[in-house]
Amino acid sequence: MDELLQALVQGFFVGSAYGLLALGMGLVYGVSGIVNFAHGDFVSLGMYLCFALFTAFALDPYVSVVITAPVMIALGAVVYRFLIKPIAGRQLLMVIQLTLGVALLIQNGLMMAFGGQPTRAPSMIESKLFLVGDVVIRGAHLVACIVSFALAILLYVMLQSTDIGRAIRAVQQEPRAAALMGVDVGRVQVMTFAIGVGILAIAAALLLPGLPIQPTQGLRFTVITLLVFVLGGMTNFVAIMLGGVVIGVAEAIGTIYMTHTLGQLLPYLIFVAIMLFRPQGLVWRS
Amino acid sequence: MLEMQGITAGYDGVPALRDVSIAVGRGELVGLLGANNAGKSTLINVISGTVPIMSGRLILDGEDISNVGAQRRVELGLVQVPEGRLVFPQMTVRENLLLGGYNRKARPARPANMDHVVSLFPRLGERLGQLAGTLSGGEQQMVAIGRGLMAGARVLMLDEPSLGLSPLFVQFIFEIIDKLHAEGMTILLVEQNLSLTVRHADRCYVLERGVVAVEGPSATVADDPRTRAAYLGM
Amino acid sequence: MRPDFWPALRSPIPWVLLALAATMPFLLPNYYLHILTITLVYAALASSWNIVGGIAGQISLAHSLFVGAGAMLASALLVKLGINMWLGMIVAAAFSAAMGAAISFIDYRFRLGHLSFALITMAFAEMAEIYVTNTEFLGGASGLFLPKDQGNLLAFQFGGINGVYWIMLAMAALCVLVNFAILSSPLGYNLRSIRDNENAAQAIGVGLLRNKTWAMTISAVLTSIVGTIYARYLAFVDPYLLVSPVLTIEIVLFATVGGLGSALGPAVGAFLLAPLGEILRGHFGGFLPGFHYFVYGLVVVGVILMMPAGVWPSLREKFARRPAA
Repeated sequence: MDELLQALVQGFFVGSAYGLLALGMGLVYGVSGIVNFAHGDFVSLGMYLCFALFTAFALDPYVSVVITAPVMIALGAVVYRFLIKPIAGRQLLMVIQLTLGVALLIQNGLMMAFGGQPTRAPSMIESKLFLVGDVVIRGAHLVACIVSFALAILLYVMLQSTDIGRAIRAVQQEPRAAALMGVDVGRVQVMTFAIGVGILAIAAALLLPGLPIQPTQGLRFTVITLLVFVLGGMTNFVAIMLGGVVIGVAEAIGTIYMTHTLGQLLPYLIFVAIMLFRPQGLVWRS
Repeated sequence: MLEMQGITAGYDGVPALRDVSIAVGRGELVGLLGANNAGKSTLINVISGTVPIMSGRLILDGEDISNVGAQRRVELGLVQVPEGRLVFPQMTVRENLLLGGYNRKARPARPANMDHVVSLFPRLGERLGQLAGTLSGGEQQMVAIGRGLMAGARVLMLDEPSLGLSPLFVQFIFEIIDKLHAEGMTILLVEQNLSLTVRHADRCYVLERGVVAVEGPSATVADDPRTRAAYLGM
Repeated sequence: MRPDFWPALRSPIPWVLLALAATMPFLLPNYYLHILTITLVYAALASSWNIVGGIAGQISLAHSLFVGAGAMLASALLVKLGINMWLGMIVAAAFSAAMGAAISFIDYRFRLGHLSFALITMAFAEMAEIYVTNTEFLGGASGLFLPKDQGNLLAFQFGGINGVYWIMLAMAALCVLVNFAILSSPLGYNLRSIRDNENAAQAIGVGLLRNKTWAMTISAVLTSIVGTIYARYLAFVDPYLLVSPVLTIEIVLFATVGGLGSALGPAVGAFLLAPLGEILRGHFGGFLPGFHYFVYGLVVVGVILMMPAGVWPSLREKFARRPAA
């Protein structure tokens, strides 16, 4: 029972960060209709930026975000403007291959810069543990959870009640009318992609404490994000966060209760089952 | 106020309009008539800046704006209410209207414009919190027109506002158009409905396969045999 | 079959080229023959992928699953159970066909146009890697060693690199030929109409599930067979090479660079990139790992931006415009 509770709590905390990863993907998908298959490699990049800042200046990853987030936002804007936008209008499908190419570039750029050996960027908080009843809570997980939900709420409020947020939603729902109302659709697309990548810088710092990193890990993050994104019905914010929690909990429970293989496969099996029986995702929209 | 001088325009190098010249005076209600595919929507999209001009000039208040971008034209007050309404379905009526006032010029005037829109369409005032996608077609048309007014329209371009509406709503929409006209708004009204348009517009143009076939005061245009010919495609 | 399919086969050019290619083992030193063999493997893989990814426009990211099935399953059956590798090849191909059909069905349930296929297949590829690296029977994380190649054809042994080269040449030719055949058959028309517009295709009576399943199944079977031959050539089957989603990405990108949907494009892409990658890896792999993938990335991004149709169709168009030049 304690084990189960432990798994639920840990899964919930880590899953909320997965939800955050997928929010970025959902935002971009809603506005531009594209799925970025280099998503996880941008997470990787964010982690290695933190690692580099730690090695150079002994900065804590949580502090580094102040630098990595703007850098990644700028990078996202450049990637969208100069690589994705030129082909997104003509051949939406090609964006898959293009972003796979970008994934190779990031992954192997990291490999060339940092080598292929696993490494770590320690954080002051990573060894902090809290005991609530019999449940052990890792400080880093708690931070990840709180920041993820705070960011999700912030993003939601931004979308609901600012001009720029309304413009983003307008482009999602009816791009032609948005353009006729004076919204620069191209700029909104660049901006959402940049925000989407910027979020990854934060998510990277949240997931980093205690996690060994490797240049080849990006694909795994991409796949986890895809699972959450699809479970969440692709654009619904609440459902995406819920999807993140489902995948996080599945992962945690799988590792504790099942054989190693089955445990690792559990999130995917849940994904396949949901695809088969609830193809519209976890939450309906009428 | 707004003038097209010998404009040829179209998509992908294929002209949908050839050498079209029209003029809309300040405070005028001008009807733009024609059968399907005559080029009416292309014409107002040229004014909105979403269809490129191949040759000719577009003049607003004496200035050539042919090369001005689409966003900037909205700020200049050239606002289109698109065919099929195209409201933002997952946004409330209020949000739709607020987004109408998105451009830099219109933002400061949003509260005043909102009051104006609500006074024109009291029905929208009662439904400000409702999702636009759940409204009836007529109500969505109100949102679309209201959104255009929120954008600070000086020339309001209405593309087929009566399309798909019940006769009662059509009548209501035309009453609103008359009211806006009476308030001094410059209006370019694109319509297929000939009899309704000539009854309300000051002047009309009839497009036929991308060229102006007939133009003049509404009464003359209505009686011109070429108008009927243009509609029948003869 | 379209009437121009059979006459095209009677044209001497492909046969002469094939005959020339078949003489390579007598002309090239082993290192270059090795590169050429690897290139043929990728040409065959990219061509098989093209059936579903190019002609039908369904970006499958699950093809490492089929390569892996062909390689790991057939090898495991031989090493662990002593089952003849020819039989193992057939079992693996059947398994791949079943997986291909299953994936098509799941995709049909969850319809989101072309994107859903990429999303679902990527999940499957990841699952395959996790499963294989954790399953002792399939060699687990450490892989499997095949018995020495003694040239016993009945035991799926081709007598070293020359034999494998010839077998791969035939296999690559077969994959390209299947592409030609599909492109000139009713299946090809159906798949292309699905690629261009699923709804329109459905409206004129093209069954989405049936046609996509055919494309995926044919592609999976060919891919799986190539996987078995590749495993025999490598003699050591490494799951991190053969079941890795990175392998799929390579296949997809080679096909894209060469030209999606054309019969020869994917093979051309493989011939451009695979030797480049092998040579770069040979030169830089020791001190700059990842460099050849990095170059792939650059080439792919460059080609997509500059000639999105791919190298082969773009070249063909250029020459068609200047006939007799």
